[in-house]
Amino acid sequence: MATTLAPPPRHVSPPQTARRRIRRLSRRRPGKLTYLMLTAIAFFSFFPLYWSVVVASQDNSALGKIPPPVLLGGNLWFNLKRAFTMVPFEKALINSFLVAGAITLSVVLFSTLAGFAFAKLRFRGRNILLLSIIGTMMVPTTLGIIPLYMLMAKIQWTGTIYAVIVPAMVNGFGVFFMTQYLSEAVPTELLEAGRVDGCSTIRLFWHVVLPAARPAAAVLGMLTFLTAWNDFFWPLVVLTPEDPTVQVVLSTLSAGRITDYSLALTGALIAILPLLVVFVVLGKQIIGGIMQGAVKG
Amino acid sequence: MRRFTAVVPIAIAAMLATAACGSDDGDNQAADDGPVSLTVATFGEFGYKELYEEYMKLHPNVKITERITKTEDHHKNLAAHLATNTGAADIEALEEGWIGQFTAQPSKFVDLTEYGANDIKAQWPEWKWNVGSSKDGKVIGLGTDAGGMAMCYRTDLFQKAGLPTDRAEVSKLWPTWEQYIETGKKFEAAKVPGAHFFDGPTVMYRSILGQAPVGLYDGDNVVVDSNPDVKKAFDLSAQAVTSGLSARAEAWTPAWNAGFAKGTFATLACPSWMMAYIQTQAKDASGKWDIADVPGGGGNWGGSWLTVPKQGKHTKAAYELAKWLTAPEQEVKVFQKYGNFPSTVTLYDDPAIKDFVNPYFNNAPVGQIFSKSVTTMKPQYLGPKAGDINTQIINGLTRIEQGKQTPDQSWAQVLTDVKALL
Amino acid sequence: MTQLATEERVGPRRGLLHRLDVKGSPYLYIAPFFILFLGFGVFPLIFTAWVSLHEWSLLSEEHTWIGFGNYTKLFDDPAFWNALWNTVSIWVISTVPQLLLALVLAHILNQRLRGQTFWRMSALIPNITSVAAVAIIFSQLFGRDYGLFNWVLGLFGVDKIDWTANTWSSHVAVSTMIIWRWTGYNALIYLAAMQAVPKELYDSASLDGASSFQQLRKITVPAIRPTIIFTVIISTIGGMQVLAEPLLFGGNGLTGGSDRQFQTLALYLYEVAFGRFDFGYASASSWVMFLIIVVVAAINFGITSRLRRS
Repeated sequence: MATTLAPPPRHVSPPQTARRRIRRLSRRRPGKLTYLMLTAIAFFSFFPLYWSVVVASQDNSALGKIPPPVLLGGNLWFNLKRAFTMVPFEKALINSFLVAGAITLSVVLFSTLAGFAFAKLRFRGRNILLLSIIGTMMVPTTLGIIPLYMLMAKIQWTGTIYAVIVPAMVNGFGVFFMTQYLSEAVPTELLEAGRVDGCSTIRLFWHVVLPAARPAAAVLGMLTFLTAWNDFFWPLVVLTPEDPTVQVVLSTLSAGRITDYSLALTGALIAILPLLVVFVVLGKQIIGGIMQGAVKG
Repeated sequence: MRRFTAVVPIAIAAMLATAACGSDDGDNQAADDGPVSLTVATFGEFGYKELYEEYMKLHPNVKITERITKTEDHHKNLAAHLATNTGAADIEALEEGWIGQFTAQPSKFVDLTEYGANDIKAQWPEWKWNVGSSKDGKVIGLGTDAGGMAMCYRTDLFQKAGLPTDRAEVSKLWPTWEQYIETGKKFEAAKVPGAHFFDGPTVMYRSILGQAPVGLYDGDNVVVDSNPDVKKAFDLSAQAVTSGLSARAEAWTPAWNAGFAKGTFATLACPSWMMAYIQTQAKDASGKWDIADVPGGGGNWGGSWLTVPKQGKHTKAAYELAKWLTAPEQEVKVFQKYGNFPSTVTLYDDPAIKDFVNPYFNNAPVGQIFSKSVTTMKPQYLGPKAGDINTQIINGLTRIEQGKQTPDQSWAQVLTDVKALL
Repeated sequence: MTQLATEERVGPRRGLLHRLDVKGSPYLYIAPFFILFLGFGVFPLIFTAWVSLHEWSLLSEEHTWIGFGNYTKLFDDPAFWNALWNTVSIWVISTVPQLLLALVLAHILNQRLRGQTFWRMSALIPNITSVAAVAIIFSQLFGRDYGLFNWVLGLFGVDKIDWTANTWSSHVAVSTMIIWRWTGYNALIYLAAMQAVPKELYDSASLDGASSFQQLRKITVPAIRPTIIFTVIISTIGGMQVLAEPLLFGGNGLTGGSDRQFQTLALYLYEVAFGRFDFGYASASSWVMFLIIVVVAAINFGITSRLRRS
């Protein structure tokens, strides 16, 4: 296990004068080729999403056409209205926001705490505990829903969003991710210095670890929010369409024997708009170089 | 830390001990006149929304909540809720493809004969009633809609191939499936550009098998290897494929969807609900599709039942609602508004169905065509694993179609695959 | 070991409170995970282990004890082993390119770009696109008669490929879907790790005339090694549990093709549990699958850490 907790590479800072010169040099923005590549990647990433908008703006016959339509039709507003009248979308959006928000806050906080402990603190049984956390990720979750449902029925949480939130408040992914990130990002010397000054562990966490964890916390937050938002397997079993999350109402929208794709994909579009907002907010948090000033400067 | 670790395992042990014992049986026989809240879980367009309103007006003490989910999700959830004895709706719908597994394990459902279901038995054809019952005669489901079976065909492609286009004459081309294949060979010989005779073997196989008195099961035994009718259904479908009649458009794929408008296949065995599908997929092909009889007489694909899980609080009230929803007066309303073809045979003389024609299909008298296929369909016991076994056999036909195996190789593998299921 | 060896430095005189902080706080920090896992994770594990020793249908009241019967049946079940090989094959074809691409993409995204947030966000777009739309688009792309890929191959004189029919081609198609959906996800993980690499290192390297690619290899990769190990382990675990992509590619069919040619372990498990409702057998498969994942992840970890040393 020692290998995952490798010491940070000891960096040699370039001499002061040279550094100032390169600052200017590295400010040079990436060339046209980079943007060309990024545009190509973005095209491939966005195309299915764009195409969902196309289908959502048509009626269901659009899918039977050869070649399939690639331009927007005029039915989007009509489909949106249909989606909102057929299912309690407002309620579902609020529920999903509560669920994904609570899970994200909790996962990021607990993962950073645990990651800090595993990466930087010494305690008995550390390696075996970390390994067991990683091990929990390897359990296939498909079957777990039956016993978990029994459990929820016992504590009378079925049909409530607690049943979706609480079991997801921590996960091995987050802890392992933060452990690996923090073992690299927080210089041990800095923590030792803090200790010598008499800082308690929680103060070290607050003043040193948490700021350094920002880029990783932002990414972990995005990925956790996304996973929680998109989770349908468990919510479909434990929640009811009367008090649903977004994924539950999406199942209702595509319920017909003949799937009405224009309706189903309209629903899917409504469902991802809040995700985009979260991405923009968190995406701005991925900023590096916070530690550089504190440690090296 | 120590305190937590001590408490949690005890809680878990307690749950382990109680979870296996199932839930307490509450008072199932709540008074009928007290306030009753019923949940009905369906998957798709049962067309019951207005009926719920009507029922609540008739019975002011009853409050109905509807739950609609995707078909796969619905059955998966139901299995989970039955297994844990909690969470199921008061009325749960079941689809034809799934019901065999549930009738094989009827203990989680109310035997509706206890509430007098036998009195209304005459509403349905015998096969529909049987499929909703367990082998020992427990009735768990009341039939809602049925698929029936007909043969949809393209008049324009038939004309190009020099075949008759009038639906009476077309029906005469194929009283049997052998003659259907012969017609197909004639069609292929005419080399209509870009078109083949039929879409693929899946529906053909299911239709032929459905017309046999004994299918995959004979009583408790799976007779795939010994029942000549199963082999016949397989062989005929395989023969149609090896004769080059197939457009190789697998059902529900984009190529298949596009095929309706494009005319890549000239015939398609079609249950009643397929009409709406063709109409949406090929909006502009109105008048090009027509409907004739299916070879071999009767048939059915699809349709559902309403069941009452035992775990419900008001099983009697739930039965009353299910009985009301499946009664002829209600089913005819659903048919008129949503087009779901009723399985209620007593309705088939009703002008709403007898005189029903579909303008998209050249005014074909589809009410009569589908009634005929539903009423002439013989009862056949499906068996608990019918769905899985059919998947194996259809996979076998697909392997032939994909050129991976000869019919003999494929059948040999089907037999081992089916054996592995049991 | 780089963990804080506080005791030696500070000495025992700091008082009880300090000792308690140093000795006890790590446990406090990791406690939430274990409390919740004990509350909601352990019971399902024990329960499925118990179920796996029974003949246990989801729809039945009776559960017959059969000891290890499900397990012995599993070892003779060709469909299970077939699913295992498919899983490994798809995992290899998808994971290696996926992680390499993600690394390169993260490197590009780590530059000072105009519209940075936009580019970073677009990395996650495939992951949030409705699976229904993804399924339709990919079956269009891999269509036999009108598919885009066959059309392009046709320009080079390659015969039409029936993508779903063959083992290798279906694995390639499923892997393509996986790569498309998950590359950006991994790229963001790398991108986060790259934020902790001091910018000065790149500055001095470009002063020495190192190309962008050399910087990636010589500076970035060594510096974010723990995160690379993380993604390798995670993709191993994720890859062994691939379910959505083969399910979508097969048009929601549970057998993964006419000859189970692209049925993965997770899909097989799903078929047994929710197609046949055979909870006992599914539980046994689930446990064997868990053990296989542990072994594969351990091997992978061994290889990755050895690479590190060399």
